Amino acid sequence: MTTDEQPQVILQRSGRLLTITLNDPRRRNALGTALFEQLERALDEANPRDIDDAPSVIVLGANGSAFCAGFDLEACVQDATLLPLFVERLGRLTARIRALPAVVIAQVQGAALAGGCALVMSCDIVHAAADATFGYPVHRIGVSPAVNVPVLLATAGLGAARRIALSSEILPARQAESLGLVQCVHANEGALHGAVAALAESLCAKSPHALRATKAWLNQVDGTEATGSLGSAVDRAAQATIDVCRTAEARSMLDSFWQQRRARM
Amino acid sequence: MIHPLCCTTLDRTMTERASLTIADGCATILLRRGESRNALDCDTIVALRRCIDAAAVECNGKRGVVRSLVLAGEGKSFCAGMDLKGVLHDAVRMGDMLRGLSSALLALRRLPVPTIARVQGAAIGGGCGLAVVCDFAITHPEAKLGYPEVDLGVCPAVVAPWLVRRIGAGPARAMLLAGGTMGGEEAAARGLVTRCVPAADLDAEVAALAGRLATGGAEALACTKRMLNELDGSLDEKIAADAAELSARVIAGPEAQASLTRLYALKPQGGPAANPAR
Repeated sequence: MTTDEQPQVILQRSGRLLTITLNDPRRRNALGTALFEQLERALDEANPRDIDDAPSVIVLGANGSAFCAGFDLEACVQDATLLPLFVERLGRLTARIRALPAVVIAQVQGAALAGGCALVMSCDIVHAAADATFGYPVHRIGVSPAVNVPVLLATAGLGAARRIALSSEILPARQAESLGLVQCVHANEGALHGAVAALAESLCAKSPHALRATKAWLNQVDGTEATGSLGSAVDRAAQATIDVCRTAEARSMLDSFWQQRRARM
Repeated sequence: MIHPLCCTTLDRTMTERASLTIADGCATILLRRGESRNALDCDTIVALRRCIDAAAVECNGKRGVVRSLVLAGEGKSFCAGMDLKGVLHDAVRMGDMLRGLSSALLALRRLPVPTIARVQGAAIGGGCGLAVVCDFAITHPEAKLGYPEVDLGVCPAVVAPWLVRRIGAGPARAMLLAGGTMGGEEAAARGLVTRCVPAADLDAEVAALAGRLATGGAEALACTKRMLNELDGSLDEKIAADAAELSARVIAGPEAQASLTRLYALKPQGGPAANPAR
């Protein structure tokens, strides 16, 4: 639909910095087939064969009023086979982000919900504008956020992860900060961009080797290293989500959620 | 003496580089390399370890007599970090030193009494690691704390597991990857230390906390601490050993060698944190 017109993911390389920008603002950067494909290609670029060519810092941001509102549910309603596929791709994508050699900074304005929140949680450092929101409000469409629980557990700790994954709450940026999901909240988008640019610049000036070793060691210490190899925790978690997606309950909840939303619009 | 409690019952000097004193139910380990901001070189790490082991004997032998332990540093700074100057080009001794620090941190954590770090001036890199391993840490607004290791091409592997246990994995990631240092108030806000008080109140605050801890049941405190250590993986010896190896490997690499050689040439005194780039 939009793939021919303009890219849904924009890549900008400047020395050791790679900026990945989600660029489907009309659909609040919802994760659909085209966006997934382009993000997967972006990660190929972020992790080249020759490690010396790899960026040492990545900023993951988004154009528009929302960072990423989750899966493209319209596509999922039209094609029942898509939802489990999307879950699988999201699991793989988040595992790959965590395993990247670069330090990944999420730059979040507006909604980062469900799959969008999962993307953010797989990053190393999260900066957000005050209007940003986080959470996994997926139970109302009969879906489980299990796919992102391994990283969520490691990031937020057991108590907070349980609350976030079970409650469907949508957390404002300040609250997400107090729970450890976000490291820094900025008054507005301008301040957010300024702070992320300054952080990226300071990280680019550091030794790539030490940063890489430190990130890999943190992955090992907090248990997210296992998410780097497919067939491990994330795959089991993704399977749990996929199993739920395939139930009749999930189908009917998603359909009725979508009908209600269309009726409102 | 830094610690206000008068030394009446026992005074044991382990070596010149660190001492253990026990007075009024409170043990104090004092780093005594103030002229180098208590930077951790080989001898200081060995002396610290001996003090920790001696403290463990005292705590376990006379359960209920020693009720808390204060870790402090003489002079202007608590601890400026690792002093790698003497071992920079000697991979074997470097490895020994990092293994020594990693296992000393584990021994400190294992002490059966609550531990309090009294942090004045600076707690950088491995020095910040010492403060974070303690159950409590108290500092003042003018102090500088943090982990500038990546700024120097070094990997803060040895201190990372302890920071993760203290402030959680997400915030630890942001702190260790961004490097740099912070003031005492920010350190308190980010959970690195438990309290930040005016410098003039530091001793009184430490003494008050030690006094309060002494009123708790000694057995209950020891059991609680052991339980917490098991829950958060503090007793994982493999991760402590792996951390030392990784850290040694990165320091032996060309990047770290170049930046540390430059640093020590610039600043012959003190540890690697003597001039951390923000």
